[in-house]
Amino acid sequence: MLWVDKYRPKSLDKVIVHEDIAQNLKKLVTEQDCPHLLFYGPPGSGKKTLIMALLRQMFGASAEKVKVENKNWKVDAGSRTIELELTTLSSTHHVELNPSDAGFQDRYIVQEIIKEMAKNRPIDTKGKKGFKVLVLNEVDKLSREAQHSLRRTMEKYSASCHLILCCDSSSKVTEAVRSRCLNVRVNAPKEDQIVKVLEFIGKKEGLQLPPGFAARIAEKSGRSLRRAILSFETCRVQQYPFTNNQVISPMDWEQYVLEIASDIMKEQSPKRLFQVRGKVYELLVNCIPPEVVLKRLLFELLKKLDADLKLEVCHWAAYYEHRMRLGQKAIFHIEAFVAKFMSIYKGFLIASFG
Amino acid sequence: MQQPDIRKWFMKQHDKGNDNGNASKPAKPTLAIPGKPSTAKDAPAASAAKPAQGGQESSGRRKTSKYFANDKKNQEDAAEVSGSAAKRKVQSSSADVKPPPVKKQHTVKVDDDDDDDFVLPKTGKSSVESTPNKKLKSSSGKGVSRASVKESDDDADDTPTNAKSGGRGRGRRGGAVGGRGTKLELDEGDAEDEDAKEVKSAGRGRGGRGGSAAAGGGRGGGRGGFMAFGERKDPPHKGEKEVPEGSPDCLAGLTFVISGTLDSLEREEAEDLIKRYGGRITGSISKKTNYLLCDEDIGGRKSQKAKELGTAFLTEDGLFDKIRASNRSKVTKKEESKPQVDKKISTPPPKATPQKVVKKTTESPEKGKAATHASPGVSSAKQKKPTVGSSLPWTEKYKPKIPDEIIGNQSLVKQLHLWLTQWNHHFLGGDSKGKGKKQSDSGAKKAVLLSGTPGIGKTTSAKLVSQMLGYQTIEVNASDSRGKADSKIEKGVGGSTANSVKELVSNQSLSVDMNRSKQPKAVLIMDEVDGMSAGDRGGVADLISSIKMSKIPIICICNDRYSQKLKSLVNYCLPLNFRKPTKQQMAKRLGQIASKEGLKVNEVALEELAARVNGDMRMALNQLQYMSLSQSVINYDDIRQRLLSSSKDEDISPFTAVDKLFDYNAGKLRMDERFDLSMSDPDLVPLLVQENYINYRPSAAGKDEVKRMNLLARAADSIASGDIINVQIRRYRQWQLSQSSSLTSAIIPAALLRGQREVLMPGERNFNRFGGWLGKNSTMGKNYRLLEDAHVHLISSLQFNLGRSTLCLDYLSLLLKHMTDPLKMLPKDEAVEKVVEFMDLYSINQEDLDSMMAMSKFQGHPSLLDGVQPAVKAALTKAYNKGSKLRVIRSADMITLPGIKKAPKKRVAAMLEPVDGGAGEDGDAVAQNEENNSDAEDLEGDDAEEKPKVDIQSLSSKGIQIQTDSRGTGTKKAATGRGRGGGAAAGTSKRKR
Repeated sequence: MLWVDKYRPKSLDKVIVHEDIAQNLKKLVTEQDCPHLLFYGPPGSGKKTLIMALLRQMFGASAEKVKVENKNWKVDAGSRTIELELTTLSSTHHVELNPSDAGFQDRYIVQEIIKEMAKNRPIDTKGKKGFKVLVLNEVDKLSREAQHSLRRTMEKYSASCHLILCCDSSSKVTEAVRSRCLNVRVNAPKEDQIVKVLEFIGKKEGLQLPPGFAARIAEKSGRSLRRAILSFETCRVQQYPFTNNQVISPMDWEQYVLEIASDIMKEQSPKRLFQVRGKVYELLVNCIPPEVVLKRLLFELLKKLDADLKLEVCHWAAYYEHRMRLGQKAIFHIEAFVAKFMSIYKGFLIASFG
Repeated sequence: MQQPDIRKWFMKQHDKGNDNGNASKPAKPTLAIPGKPSTAKDAPAASAAKPAQGGQESSGRRKTSKYFANDKKNQEDAAEVSGSAAKRKVQSSSADVKPPPVKKQHTVKVDDDDDDDFVLPKTGKSSVESTPNKKLKSSSGKGVSRASVKESDDDADDTPTNAKSGGRGRGRRGGAVGGRGTKLELDEGDAEDEDAKEVKSAGRGRGGRGGSAAAGGGRGGGRGGFMAFGERKDPPHKGEKEVPEGSPDCLAGLTFVISGTLDSLEREEAEDLIKRYGGRITGSISKKTNYLLCDEDIGGRKSQKAKELGTAFLTEDGLFDKIRASNRSKVTKKEESKPQVDKKISTPPPKATPQKVVKKTTESPEKGKAATHASPGVSSAKQKKPTVGSSLPWTEKYKPKIPDEIIGNQSLVKQLHLWLTQWNHHFLGGDSKGKGKKQSDSGAKKAVLLSGTPGIGKTTSAKLVSQMLGYQTIEVNASDSRGKADSKIEKGVGGSTANSVKELVSNQSLSVDMNRSKQPKAVLIMDEVDGMSAGDRGGVADLISSIKMSKIPIICICNDRYSQKLKSLVNYCLPLNFRKPTKQQMAKRLGQIASKEGLKVNEVALEELAARVNGDMRMALNQLQYMSLSQSVINYDDIRQRLLSSSKDEDISPFTAVDKLFDYNAGKLRMDERFDLSMSDPDLVPLLVQENYINYRPSAAGKDEVKRMNLLARAADSIASGDIINVQIRRYRQWQLSQSSSLTSAIIPAALLRGQREVLMPGERNFNRFGGWLGKNSTMGKNYRLLEDAHVHLISSLQFNLGRSTLCLDYLSLLLKHMTDPLKMLPKDEAVEKVVEFMDLYSINQEDLDSMMAMSKFQGHPSLLDGVQPAVKAALTKAYNKGSKLRVIRSADMITLPGIKKAPKKRVAAMLEPVDGGAGEDGDAVAQNEENNSDAEDLEGDDAEEKPKVDIQSLSSKGIQIQTDSRGTGTKKAATGRGRGGGAAAGTSKRKR
């Protein structure tokens, strides 16, 4: 079993990193007054862990008995019926799903599933918890329409169905939805916190950690705890006992983006642009989300870039990322960014070095 | 009303004048004298208002029709200017003479076209054109540039003394050649105003580049199409040579065969050049071939045969020389006798004979027209026709009157004739002979099906043959309702056509009895049977039944014999497939008609027309008639020009469209043409543009790499905008944006980057690639599906509850490391055991492993499985498969089988053993228990009721459970039957389906 999963805190009490949040959540549960919740924060900060722990706190161990289902919905949308299929993860008390998987028809999912859950209100034998929890992942990827239809239903059925929303960035969640939820910001853990966790794991696993090694991993992880633990284990698989100068290898795709970035910096020509296109395709085909590619590429470029250009390049990256979300064919936008960068950089090189 | 008619009349007049002129060489003097005093030819200012108007009008027309040619010239010139020095050498003969004339020309302003020949043509041109006067000149100049190139040679040895007369002659001829109703007086006026030397220099100026410009003009390599690139090499000196101007028809009567790659011309260009000068191109060598045009002896079949037959070889330069030479000889001839000129000359009224002048003034335009028809020497009998039927479309007017007049397909017409004559014998008279014979006889079908493309005379043939045999034709076509006849025929015939058809067909008395009494027999022509559509419900079936019972012959006509709709019909019919007539056949007939209409068209032009309309005689005639309204002389270029634009109605492949958009000359395309191109396939063209735009070296940037990069960035940006617009269109149905979409996604990038295509990767072929996006997108979709499968499996292992992207971004490499590293480092058995254990823990199956491998593999990076012994891999597979039989089901496959959707929805609940695996037998018991439950559960489809049940199950088990939703009926049984063991197998077997 991977360490990330093995040492995932199962209850709110055992949470190490976001203790304050955990305590607050616990209070919420004990007071029986659980509003809709919106968890947001960068990846690897522990949102999902907190949510699972919260559910356990609410429903006890039965929340962990989940089953995976491929659910079909038939939605009546005026003149036609839309058939949708979605994978859900559900226990007796909660349903977890990823509505953005339904693509542009996510609206119907959101409308339908809440109604369905509200209709089938569970009657607990003890008559305690008269509600179910719906966990929606990747709310920021929901279309605007889906979010709009969400806001009314989440009020109407709030007695029987509590929502827990989870997303990376709250800025893509509409104001209306945000205001109906208790927003919980889950920060990325600080590096010393990560180090603490790594040392904790190391102790449990009975490993010898050279001084500073955990810190290096933490630094490389970009403040993602999950990443830190994963690469910690990777190091363990690669080489043990640890040495101080052990290489902490990046992910394959990160390595690839790095190559692309150095390609771009080395030469700015149509030919190179064409090669870059091929490599970006490769990334996209391997299921790396285009936003991640663009962001990562920008970071790699910025590392090597002259300070004068940084602002401009950032501006264009943001511009094209925005447009990428408006559009559909991500490669076009990434390519446009690369072409723009090449154009700027080449002009800069010629201007300053002739 | 009268005005245009008069004009038309005028133009016909000159035609005739031309004819006369050709017939009698000394015509000019005679013509000039009898010509109306008001349009005295030599008077510089023609005072007659009407002729002047006529001239202006037609020249205006010429102008527009030549618009592209001119533009292309500019382009070509520009290219030439930037061209290599070698090219200059070619030109040097004319170039060295040029400089002085340049200045003079500008002062003289002989004509705009000449301006085009110089380096700063465009600005000069536009300013010059602003005055109407000049426009006239330019139009005349068009002709000049085409005809006059070779003058430069002449001029070089001309002496100043003879210059004056020479200059004049040339000036006149220029007007005449370009003419077709151009005002000759203007040119002459110029000639008179300036002294001879200047005129002469003007002539020289026209030499040199004017010629090459015109030649490059036509098709600047763009029309080559990408397929051609694959077959033939590019000409080594493509576009670098100047193409000479010769006199029209200088190659008339000669037959050429082109072989191999020429030095500077694309094959199409060469063909065009030869055709323009009246030559003929054939595909293979025969005795009639005069020349084999080839630059390098590639020793192919053609050249061998040519050697056998003794056909002369001609190089490209030789061809040019020929054309040039012809012009020179013409020039001298012309100076001897101006009026002779050549067929293309059309000088305004002066050429009219006195006789006609009288007619013109006294008689109505119609009669005047009749007169024009008369004069070309049409028989008096035919003279009537045009007068009477002048309002008819030519297609009607010149419809074949007897079957022999039908062009092409004569054998089919005969077959039809035979069929029809024997029909009665077969089906009425011969009824007594028994049916056995009928079936054996292939010609004995009761109906016939004529098929072929539109406009090749199917209906005409059917009607003519019927008429000839004395049948009365009843035609039912798409304009009639042809639905199924009412079953109750008693309702009467009156109602629908269908009923009347039934009536007609079944009415024996009508055919048989009347046949005996020599009454006209009837034949039913079902036209456009493939057009039976929604309104004609049951039409084809009804037609078949009609055929079966018919007492009269039925002729069915359709365009596409292989249409799905007609499949059943074909069995009951004798199929006659009409083929397109050859272009020679068509040209012959078109020529006859043209001469009857007094239209002057040369044969090559007609052949070109025939080729362009793709065998459609009707369209050819319509085009011809349309052109006859504005011109009385039609030559090759006119046809080309005209049908170039109309050919757009045909399908343009997206590749051709992209080629055209990126072509050098694309800058000269009008906006609507670009829209047409990019709309030819609004989905594919943008993808092709996106795929290929990087490959073009924008001519706008030249050698400036920074600028090129800048243009690329702008193009990429525009393409990205196109994507955004496309989302609006598709997702929010904002179809009004489709123009903007094609503008941003295809036209703007193409406009920014048009230029030469270049190869970026070694070994790549230099034509546009197919859009890669489609393929990549589908691979991406597939990978996302695979990832989702793996993800579901991971989730169902319950060790993992994160998103898909997290899995891909963070987990993948570590997971894979866990599964591959042991294989490399540990001894075989131990490693395999370890890996299988890990896979079981996360319920990863082999397919998942493979897809995860594929997904984490990047080009140029070593695969994770490299260095793993094949034996180890095999052992792993074996171990895994062995394990799977004993293994508790951890994952259930969630693939919905599309075929069996209708099957009753059942759920298989599969038990999970606790992770520690502590309960062996216990698990068995539970599984047993579970089996029962799931069986019971099968009876209930309802989700809601199921949940409590599931709950019970999960309570009864100590582990966790996974519920599958499997719909395979067969596999389901296996799963339930076998309980825990079989489930996995079921899952995998399902998967394989």
